[in-house]
Amino acid sequence: MKLMRVGSIYMLLGLILFGLLFPFYVMLITSLKPMSEVFSIPPTWLPAKPSLHSYVEVWQAVPLGRFFWNSLVIATGASILTLACAIPAGYALARYRFPGRSLVLYTILVTQMFSPVVVIITLFKVLSAYKLLNTYAALIVTNAAFALAFSLWMLTGFFQSVPKEVEEAAQLDGCTTVQTMLKILVPLAAPGVATTVVYTFILAWNEFIFALTFISSTRMQPLTLGLASFIGRFTIEWNLLMAGSLLATVPVIVLFLLVEKHLVTGLSAGALKS
Amino acid sequence: MLLLPSLLLLTAIIAYPILDTFVTAFFKTDGSGRRVAFVGLDHFRAMAADPVFRQILGRTALWTALSVTLKTFFGLLTAMLLFTGLPGMKVARLLVILPWAFSLPIAAILWRWIYDAQMGMLNLLLTSIGLTGQTWLAEPGLAFGATLTVSVWTGVPFMALVFLAGLQAIPEELYEAGRIDGAGRWQEFVSLTLPLLKPTFVVATILSAVWTFNSFVLVHVITGGGPLNSTDILVTFLYKNAFEWLRFGQASAMALVTFLILLAFSLVYVRLYYREEMLAQ
Repeated sequence: MKLMRVGSIYMLLGLILFGLLFPFYVMLITSLKPMSEVFSIPPTWLPAKPSLHSYVEVWQAVPLGRFFWNSLVIATGASILTLACAIPAGYALARYRFPGRSLVLYTILVTQMFSPVVVIITLFKVLSAYKLLNTYAALIVTNAAFALAFSLWMLTGFFQSVPKEVEEAAQLDGCTTVQTMLKILVPLAAPGVATTVVYTFILAWNEFIFALTFISSTRMQPLTLGLASFIGRFTIEWNLLMAGSLLATVPVIVLFLLVEKHLVTGLSAGALKS
Repeated sequence: MLLLPSLLLLTAIIAYPILDTFVTAFFKTDGSGRRVAFVGLDHFRAMAADPVFRQILGRTALWTALSVTLKTFFGLLTAMLLFTGLPGMKVARLLVILPWAFSLPIAAILWRWIYDAQMGMLNLLLTSIGLTGQTWLAEPGLAFGATLTVSVWTGVPFMALVFLAGLQAIPEELYEAGRIDGAGRWQEFVSLTLPLLKPTFVVATILSAVWTFNSFVLVHVITGGGPLNSTDILVTFLYKNAFEWLRFGQASAMALVTFLILLAFSLVYVRLYYREEMLAQ
């Protein structure tokens, strides 16, 4: 009886995992096949002669290096901008009771739920009026704005958990508010700050719709857009596309696993409290 | 003062564009989105009269409801399996997270390849277990189902992790008390676990509903809304109106509708959140 139960648990879980991981298998296998085998009908389960050739060729087929660089600049820029906004605001929300405080908090919570599609028409008009299409700035600023809600909630929570006495001691030693914030609070809330940075970085790295709308020149495309543009070609070189996708995904997965615990609680704030 | 940078950013990128879109919804626009003439409720009347739009609204509701239901079901199931704590569950948990860590546009590209009728591996899998392959993305019903499957695939990990955290937060003593009373496993699940998971359940499904409702990337990359608008949902249709057909006024009116729907979701969410907060104090 017990054995049967354990057996069925593993079997069910095995089925679910198969469903969740099958795409990763396809991605890996396709990237190891040569072009001729990718186009064989029916396809093969395993490459006849696995090779890493696609991983070399993809850098020449598209400006992959450039795409990586663009994504890196945008994601880093967005992370810095988000932090610059969220640290002082998180501090204010954690430490001061002022009229409208909860209104600010809840408004921010609500913005987390808005679709980029709702704001994109106006942003497109404004950016094109100021000749800001095809710039890093356009994507840095929009990504930062959409990451801000989560970051603020995250940091406010972390700052609140730092005892007030620590801060008061620092102020007695002659630290200004800004110094206290940067030298005392930020290091003590390091896990929160790290989660915020990683969250924003991943959000910007994976972002698609703003890039699709604001970027038309190939030179400025981030990875997601650059890889998606493979699809528009006359023949889609799936082996190269899968190799590129794998390269683009691995760094994000590593980052993600580092902060995943905080993400779950941060995103579902409230769900797990009671 | 300390709030200033945040408020500036949110005003410039979110609040102002929303207001501007509202205004544009009542105007006729030129090809680059400038307002040319006030037309009152014309765009809204056009939407109400357009059978395609009504169809898309219905499909968006179906898309969100089906996808969230399936995500919740599989998420809860996965969480319960992981919660058994049998050997290997730590590794299994890590594997379950992977689709969530995946970039959506790249996941969409990958699935498009999996669904390929001739060279795709889904049909290979199906034929090798004795079923027949399909032209997944060429027929309306199948394309909708195929895109929905990807949506579920991307959403199960978040659900599973949240439910797992919820399960882990239930104090062990409650179960012990239940066991003394002689509750069976199923009874324990229905009368103890489910009610205690309710707050988790509510918040997670609302969040998931908002994300699912907004799934622009999946639909855009996998089917482009096709064949013939048959997989379009509100957000992709709105985007097409604006950036393919350059009907910015009409698109703004749709954005207003989208905004109101999302606002309704958010208000429910905030209300619940607020209540939890009150209860916690």
